[in-house]
Amino acid sequence: MDERILEFIGDLRRAELRISPSEALDALSASAEVGLTDRETFKATLAATLVKESRDLETFERIFNLYFLDLQALGEGIKKALGPEDARVQDLLDRLVDEEGLELDDLTELLMRGEGSEMEMAIRAGGQNAGLERLMYFLQVGYFSRKIQDKFDWSAIERDIEKIMRMLEAKGLDPGQLARIRNYLELRLEAFNRMIRQHVERELERRAYRQGEKLTREVLSEKPLFALTPEEVAQMKNVVSRLARKIKDALALRQRQEQKGRLDTRRTIRKSLSYGGVPMEVFLKRRHREKPKLITVCDVSDSVRNASRFMLQLVWSLQECFSRVRSFVFVSEIAEVTQAFSTYPVERGIEWALKAAPVDYHCRSDFGFAFSRFANTELESLDRKTTILVLGDARNNYNDPQAWALRLIRERVKGIIWLNPEGQWGWGIGDSVMPMYAPACDLVRECRTIGQLGEVVDNLVHHWWRRGR
Amino acid sequence: MFDSVEDVQQRFKNARYIASRRISTVVYLSERMGRPVLIEGPAGVGKTELAKTLADITNRPLIRLQCYEGLDEGKALYEWKYAKQLLYTQLLKDRIGELIADAPSLPDAVARIAGQDDAFFSFRFLSQRPLLLAIQSDEPVVLLIDEIDKAEPEFEAFLLEVLSDFQVSVPELGTVKAKHVPLVVLTSNNARELSDGLKRRCLHLFIDFPAPAEELEIIRLKVPEIPAKLASAVVAAVQKIRALELRKPPSVSESLDWARSLVILNAQTLDAALVESTLTMLVKYEKDLERVKGALDKVLAP
Repeated sequence: MDERILEFIGDLRRAELRISPSEALDALSASAEVGLTDRETFKATLAATLVKESRDLETFERIFNLYFLDLQALGEGIKKALGPEDARVQDLLDRLVDEEGLELDDLTELLMRGEGSEMEMAIRAGGQNAGLERLMYFLQVGYFSRKIQDKFDWSAIERDIEKIMRMLEAKGLDPGQLARIRNYLELRLEAFNRMIRQHVERELERRAYRQGEKLTREVLSEKPLFALTPEEVAQMKNVVSRLARKIKDALALRQRQEQKGRLDTRRTIRKSLSYGGVPMEVFLKRRHREKPKLITVCDVSDSVRNASRFMLQLVWSLQECFSRVRSFVFVSEIAEVTQAFSTYPVERGIEWALKAAPVDYHCRSDFGFAFSRFANTELESLDRKTTILVLGDARNNYNDPQAWALRLIRERVKGIIWLNPEGQWGWGIGDSVMPMYAPACDLVRECRTIGQLGEVVDNLVHHWWRRGR
Repeated sequence: MFDSVEDVQQRFKNARYIASRRISTVVYLSERMGRPVLIEGPAGVGKTELAKTLADITNRPLIRLQCYEGLDEGKALYEWKYAKQLLYTQLLKDRIGELIADAPSLPDAVARIAGQDDAFFSFRFLSQRPLLLAIQSDEPVVLLIDEIDKAEPEFEAFLLEVLSDFQVSVPELGTVKAKHVPLVVLTSNNARELSDGLKRRCLHLFIDFPAPAEELEIIRLKVPEIPAKLASAVVAAVQKIRALELRKPPSVSESLDWARSLVILNAQTLDAALVESTLTMLVKYEKDLERVKGALDKVLAP
């Protein structure tokens, strides 16, 4: 049984559950404690030892049901499918065996008279050497079913069926009854074949559960943002929220590593007064990690809207990692959209920012104008704890870039990070004024895919504020 | 202590706590394997109650450590009673004087005082906090660490150390090893992610809102005087209210409160006016109240 549990754990790992070796050992010793008599108890045991996140329970349930098949339910299902004929024909076969000395092949015996669970076990045994570990795609199901079917000797079954029919005929059953019995035997054959196919399908599902999802995710994170179809944009939301969770989890880990700081003399001396000046209790200065204040400034013109969408989603899903987040959007006029995120959930806030903010969405991008307006109105509210994250392709439509505005802003803040959704080869060509803005920025990054976006934000959350300045 | 999973389930039931198969299995395993249980789930589904009942049915005293932000070792494990130590040294000044009166040299005097260290660093001057109490106890106990997610991650790391060996070291006294491995129950409301290490160490149990049949059983058990018809009406209504996407869906304890208040009001069936006037027992936020009132006919629909 241990091997089966370990194989099951392998399936869970493939479905992206994190299970450590010590947890796997726990599962083994725990299942030895409760035994296998009760399916529910066994399931609860594995769940308690292996699944430590409630969001993974659903995946666990699904794979458990695929892997530890409910044989009893299966048997009942087959009984039901065979109908009322079952008992009568079985009775008849019994009599043939007892009275007429009918001898059947083992396989026929199983197929014609066996219980559902026995049939399932036979199929599993047959599938053992069929190379099922190569099963990855739905198209292979037919091929592997065939392969398992070929393991059984069908000619022997044919012969046996003919033998049974002849004996029954000799007993003087009328043609109607004979037809019904033949029909029944064929039904059982068919059921067996169906079970083989179902077995292969189950194998496929448990092997490939979530694999497709993972594949999509990998493909999407490498795909240029402007090339996404509307369906992909919808799928991408999950990718982004996963990314956000990953960044957050890593942050929690890092926080724990941070040790206590140096001696806090003031508090230690103050407390020592109550012990006559003896520093009985020592206080240490906690090193305060300062969360960055963040302002995002996004170009929301058609060409880069997707990139802005995902950046907004990522940043706002991570808001607890920052001490304050404000967001601005612009095409040429610039407007603050922070309000939308504090009233609506993130998704709706983004839709609002991308469609309904008080800016003209249809004019041509003018970065220079947007920055000068920003400098005029917001300069006073900036401080050294603020980091500005700009997202735009810097295609200025030959307007005045007004790089002085960005330099002015830079003097007031901790840093400016520019994310450009256009490939680096295009910067400075045509109407791109990226090279004129770059000197005012601390970091300019290409951000064509969600993978790159994730990297930059991850860096921002984890390292940016540590840089001494 | 427990013979089987069924035994656990039955004993919980005798103590008036409806434990599902899953819950009983985890409790059974925890006792068998000496592992802590980490219970997660929404507020008010009986996480803390489970620990209390467990103490009850095993006849063990319950030691409870309530976690909060800023909880540290001093409040969870032990602390020296500095003031008392200081007071004693002051009072015993004469005796100490006598002790070193005829010491020939300073090092000698120091050595003599050092010889008396134990007098001042003994359990007499140690105030034991819940964790140390649980470990030192002469009889086996149930240790409840409530709302672990409220404490800081550093505390969690420290706790992990205690829970993996069931021993703590007090530098002045040496290592204190548990005489009996306590049954440990940790609860969390998921305010933040717990560390992987702690999760790995524990058996994990997720308790969600109960299914209708279970909830009915709980209500009939805890509020035995409730008419059968009313009980099923209450369960149906509560289940529907939970589906309304409220800020805080009503918990089991709140539906019990509601059932009790309906019994006090001598109600036989639920009607709109009655529900509206008692709704505050069930729903605690103004916005949620409005929402439920708006959907009242749906909630009461059979």
